[in-house]
Amino acid sequence: MDLTPNDEQIALQTATADWCRDNMRLDGARSRAPTLWPQLDAMGWVGMTAPGMGLDHATEALVFAELGRFLAPVALLSGAVAARWAPGGGKIALALPADHAVRVLDSDGATLALGLFGDALRRFAIDGTASPTPSLDQSATIARIAVPDAVEAIGDPRAALHLQLLAAAFGVGCADAARDMAAEYAKMREQFERPIGWFQAIKHMCADMAVRSAVARSQLYYAACALDAGGGDAAFHVAAAKRLADQAALDNGRANIQIHGGIGMTDEAYPHFCLKRAHLLQFIAPADGAALLAA
Amino acid sequence: MDIGFSSEEMRFREECRDWLHTNAPADKRPLDAADAIDFDKAWQRRLFDAGWAGINWPTEYGGRGLSIVQQVIWLEEYAKAHAPWIGANFVGINHGGPTLIINASEQQKSYHLPRILRGEAIWCQGFSEPGAGSDLAGIKTRGRIDGDELVITGSKIWTSFAHVADWQELVLRTEEGSQRHRGLSWVICDMHAPGITVRPIRKMSGMVEFAEVFYDDVRIPLSNVVGGLSNGWKVAMSTLSFERGTGFIADQVKQSQEIEELIAAARANGMIGDDRIADQLAQMRAEVAAVRAMTYRNISEVVRTGQPGPEASVIRLFTSELGQRLERMAVLLKGADILDFRYGDDDAVGEYLRGFAATIAGGSAQIQRDIIGERLLGLPKSR
Repeated sequence: MDLTPNDEQIALQTATADWCRDNMRLDGARSRAPTLWPQLDAMGWVGMTAPGMGLDHATEALVFAELGRFLAPVALLSGAVAARWAPGGGKIALALPADHAVRVLDSDGATLALGLFGDALRRFAIDGTASPTPSLDQSATIARIAVPDAVEAIGDPRAALHLQLLAAAFGVGCADAARDMAAEYAKMREQFERPIGWFQAIKHMCADMAVRSAVARSQLYYAACALDAGGGDAAFHVAAAKRLADQAALDNGRANIQIHGGIGMTDEAYPHFCLKRAHLLQFIAPADGAALLAA
Repeated sequence: MDIGFSSEEMRFREECRDWLHTNAPADKRPLDAADAIDFDKAWQRRLFDAGWAGINWPTEYGGRGLSIVQQVIWLEEYAKAHAPWIGANFVGINHGGPTLIINASEQQKSYHLPRILRGEAIWCQGFSEPGAGSDLAGIKTRGRIDGDELVITGSKIWTSFAHVADWQELVLRTEEGSQRHRGLSWVICDMHAPGITVRPIRKMSGMVEFAEVFYDDVRIPLSNVVGGLSNGWKVAMSTLSFERGTGFIADQVKQSQEIEELIAAARANGMIGDDRIADQLAQMRAEVAAVRAMTYRNISEVVRTGQPGPEASVIRLFTSELGQRLERMAVLLKGADILDFRYGDDDAVGEYLRGFAATIAGGSAQIQRDIIGERLLGLPKSR
């Protein structure tokens, strides 16, 4: 039993964060350059989960939490799951079910989309007719398309859990980003002649953000190991990880804006990026109550 | 990262399970204080005779000297077997004893440690005062040096087991006019000494679980000072280095049993059909799982680095508040039946009322949030 990353995993985490800091800054999440995706692909982040790479879910979760911290494109989630369970076909957009339609995210340059529909993971072709526009999370584009006629089901139940796990990792990263942004601001911003983080009203909000992040990250690690171990409890632990990650991302996202005060609710500052990302993540492989209450 | 245990660890788990299955008392710990003390002493003696007393104490002092992962396994199996809480032996085994191991003279150790391990000597703690709660350095109880004795006056409060204790780990001011953390000493106080009065305090659950202790010119030999005069703050804090993050294991197992019972109860009475209740139960089941993950993560950190991570305060805060949410849900599921509660009932209502202690005793939730904000996030110190 060991729930801490080993030296190799720490090195990979650090390298991921360093690359992101240089090439995919959080403050650039208002709109991502079209050149970013080829860069991510070239760096190997898109295909790192392919079976031949021999990466376990625990290591993936660590790396995706770092990518999530910088609000990396959500097509990395669909891409990673496809690379593992249904390889081939270039960039894969992320699909979300909608009423009598399908929403596809990050579909620019993609010919396929993958998403969770009920309990089933499905992949289908998207033609070039979708006209993507920015979504609530401006880092991701969105297009609404008709329900496709032909879909390919990805039968292995572990594939759906894989998507849920990686989306949870993105949530953990997003929650951490909001926590760190809030704590840094609370140390720097002064009112009443002292940093606002001195006041317990602010300090305790930040502490609660740290608690939510720690809870979500711990369960993410446990869930990744449970999925690696292949036991019958993996579905519960992954669902629990997703539930806690979604909550941490959303609650930290909201608290971060409150702590920033006036500037926090503007478009000019960055807290809203984390909040909007959190709202998007909630709809990617959500953890429903039934999965959490299953015997 | 992995969540499996080695075959050697699995064998150890079997050994724990077998022993506990055969030896854990079938009867519940009695509610009556006098009966409870006999029960606690007998259970501690049985643990001692089989070599299970002081699992984290070094073997040279009669402990079991288990590795940290073995401690986790023992504590998990202990809770799963519904083995009794160590009760009145809590302070001696978990706090007083470890403090003596780190700081006391050989003479002090050789007298007290075997008696604690065998369950023959009951200890209580004398830290908090009416005017020194969260701000513990505000201690006013003082000991005047008179020859080779300390003459003690003052009072302590919230002292669990004061009415049954033989000894007390007492922190008091021995340097006239000293301030805050300076001038305090940690002494072994004989609870049977003349001049000590214990006033039991009844909790809102109806139970008497702690007391106020008054000292009226109580004479204690100077040789009972541990770790040197005026060194009390350091001695009191040293016990923290004994804390390796295993303290949450029993709570986690108990909470995982509680959430399953609550889900079963909500299914039985149909309240699971209420979406809000179903959602809260689902949420808490995820949170209980996360407590185990956090605890394992913290313990892995100790195994890797020798030190628990700063996130121990996060686990403490989260676990205590989660425990209270579980207790509130248990009360909610009982509906108007809670109105039939009688003082001293040891049911869900009693647990709910007693559970308020979790975010107050041993460092309030507000103090924990200060610690997390300052030590984990680096925010400026407010105090």
